[in-house]
Amino acid sequence: MRAALLALLLARSAAAQDFAGASPAGSTRAPDGLLDRALPSASPSFSASVSQTSWWGLAGLETRAAAVSASVHTWRAALGLSQTGEPEIGWTAVGIGFGAASRNAGAGLRACARRDRDAPWSVARAFGSGAGVEAGAGAWIVPADGVRVWASAPQVWTGGAAPPLARPLELGVRAGEGSAAWVRLVAPRAGDDGERALGLSLEVSPVVAWAEVRDAPLRGSVGLTAAVSALRVGARVDAHPVLGETLRLSLAWVGEPRRSP
Amino acid sequence: MSALSLVFAAALFCAPAGHPIVTEVYYDAPGDDTGQEFVELWNDSDSTRVLTGVRLEAGDGAGPGRWTLRWTGGAGDSVKPHARFVIGGASVIPRPDVVLSLELQNGPDGLRFVWPDGAAEVVGWGALEFPEYSCGTPAPDVPGGQSLARIPDRANTGSNAGDFHPSQPSPGAANQRTVDAALLRHHTTLVPEQPTPGGTATLQIALANAGITAWGAADASLEVASDLLAAPVSVNAPAMAPGETTMVSIALDALREGRGAFAARVHIAGDESSANDSDTLLARVGAGPLEITEIQFHPAASEGEWVEVRNISHGPLLLEAFRLGDHAGAGGSIEAGPPLPAESLAVLAQDPAALRIAYPMLDGTRLRRVSPWAALNNSDDATGLADQVVLAEAGGVPVERVSYSASGIKAGVTLEREGDTWRPSPTPGGTPLAPPRPVAPVAGGFRADPRRLHPGGDTVNFAWELPWSPAKVTLELYDMEGHRSRRLAGPLDSGAHGERPVTLDALSPGLYLAVLRAESADGSLTRVTPLRVDGR
Repeated sequence: MRAALLALLLARSAAAQDFAGASPAGSTRAPDGLLDRALPSASPSFSASVSQTSWWGLAGLETRAAAVSASVHTWRAALGLSQTGEPEIGWTAVGIGFGAASRNAGAGLRACARRDRDAPWSVARAFGSGAGVEAGAGAWIVPADGVRVWASAPQVWTGGAAPPLARPLELGVRAGEGSAAWVRLVAPRAGDDGERALGLSLEVSPVVAWAEVRDAPLRGSVGLTAAVSALRVGARVDAHPVLGETLRLSLAWVGEPRRSP
Repeated sequence: MSALSLVFAAALFCAPAGHPIVTEVYYDAPGDDTGQEFVELWNDSDSTRVLTGVRLEAGDGAGPGRWTLRWTGGAGDSVKPHARFVIGGASVIPRPDVVLSLELQNGPDGLRFVWPDGAAEVVGWGALEFPEYSCGTPAPDVPGGQSLARIPDRANTGSNAGDFHPSQPSPGAANQRTVDAALLRHHTTLVPEQPTPGGTATLQIALANAGITAWGAADASLEVASDLLAAPVSVNAPAMAPGETTMVSIALDALREGRGAFAARVHIAGDESSANDSDTLLARVGAGPLEITEIQFHPAASEGEWVEVRNISHGPLLLEAFRLGDHAGAGGSIEAGPPLPAESLAVLAQDPAALRIAYPMLDGTRLRRVSPWAALNNSDDATGLADQVVLAEAGGVPVERVSYSASGIKAGVTLEREGDTWRPSPTPGGTPLAPPRPVAPVAGGFRADPRRLHPGGDTVNFAWELPWSPAKVTLELYDMEGHRSRRLAGPLDSGAHGERPVTLDALSPGLYLAVLRAESADGSLTRVTPLRVDGR
């Protein structure tokens, strides 16, 4: 159960866009961690997940995503598809991720191609002229028992149409598993001086509740995740002093390989 | 006195001995000089001086020997001991001793008095090329509204420049008085310019101590009388040193609706000049008979600028009884035509013919030429405003003044009145001679058009609806993650409906959230709409 709950802590950052679930930062044991930030999960698993994000309560700005992941020994792979926004301003994205991880370290690569929704989507069109492509890398290590340090640069390279949000390098450290605390630092982008975040989570099996505060401007997130057998559900609310709230809901099926007797 | 001594004296002094001397020349009144020019002589002796045969000649400094006779002293003309003798136009107050039109030039020019005994006194002003038009260095050329006065009255330095200085006109009175409280003409203002009926306003008056004696607090007083006041208002003037000028604010309340004049007057014991004691300001309390309803300050084609007005009086109005202009004043005359019926619109145009080509359906009887047309500015200055449209009665009583900003308004877009606020017209080219078209409902209360922007930047028209009015509105831009990118506009005055074009450039590609923040006495709200900036 503990491992299953940890699997719910789908790794993502505040700057996630297309494949983010409803979980806090810090864990590296989820398929969308690889898709979103190039951070592979520590334990092998097979998963299928869907999520929906309602950005700032705007009816015309929602993200719907589906992702699958698989593991073979230490190798990890993930594939995802998402769609954001109305056709006038929205886009469709396909993402892939590859990586390798052990209990104490992991590294991955991710790539994402986006195509505007002003024309029907197809794989050929997704990677054709006019599409936007980005690729990034990430890695994590466990320098001490219960402590995880990660670095994620989801947009090391971009080509074609620019992504909807620039995502710079993120560094983070997390202490604990279900009940944990973490700190994240996001590098500056043009026009700002970066972002700093501090989070806490509390596990009361089978539920994990968590909260995170961020600066520039000061805002926060709260979330709740729960596991019932192989099903994981999660909800997350990001609150902003001006824009209102962003609501994320996720549902995942996580199957762990049987251990050899 | 020998001829040699006369020549010697003339070389030392400009004013001939034994004769009244020139003490003031007023040759450049504001606007039309006709009837306002005057020349003043002062007899500083203890005996009456006869002026019979004295010739006053005007000199045209453009060439040598261009002297023209303006006046010759008659048999009965004389100046009593220590008195002044004024020769001037019919509009000079107090009435001159001799009334005639002097038609003096604005300089560089001069005048001279030639006495029967051959003595002459020359006064020249401006950068004169020929020495015959001045005595020594010419006096400075004064700005309109100021006279050239001998200060002090007995000054005799040997040159016009040393004797004469710019001054407030004081015909018939000493130029340098021992006690003289004065109001600077045309400097009185009312704040606000058109107060509301029953409301309050502040009259600001420019007060000067034109004498050589200081006065203390409450030594002088100011009185304001007007039909727009229930009763005259009187206040004590502040203490002032000689030569000092200050603005005095007088609070006015319970103002009566209508048009009229505020007559201000300063009083002080022993005042030696009454001619400069008063100033008058034409004013209006409440709305005028016409209101400005639409402004086209930067037409996209060649139809010229125009201003739409509405007759909000209860009867027909003759538009030629009004004048139109920009921040410099309502200087443009309106072409005469049939009376404008009550509640009707009219267009005051720079070029009516061109406007009718652009809008062939316009009713020609309600389309009037304004000349001269004061070109309205198309870009904001440091104050954030581009210009003002000023409407006034031909006599000067204000009717309405509208200040506008041109920021973010495309060429061809007019400004339309909506209640007490102004907004860019959603109709291309505006709606001359027609009321503003109803604003389409704004879905979600806040809309951006377009929502998809080109990489180089676009002008986005933001439109909103509010549940209350008036309100202050601010437009901001955030990125998808909630970091504020920039303030787009505001705080803006807004009615229940509002629009604002904003040019968005130098933005990184991506998805943004435009945020409307509105505040009023009745509440506040925030609305958000997404924008996408393309780019690579």
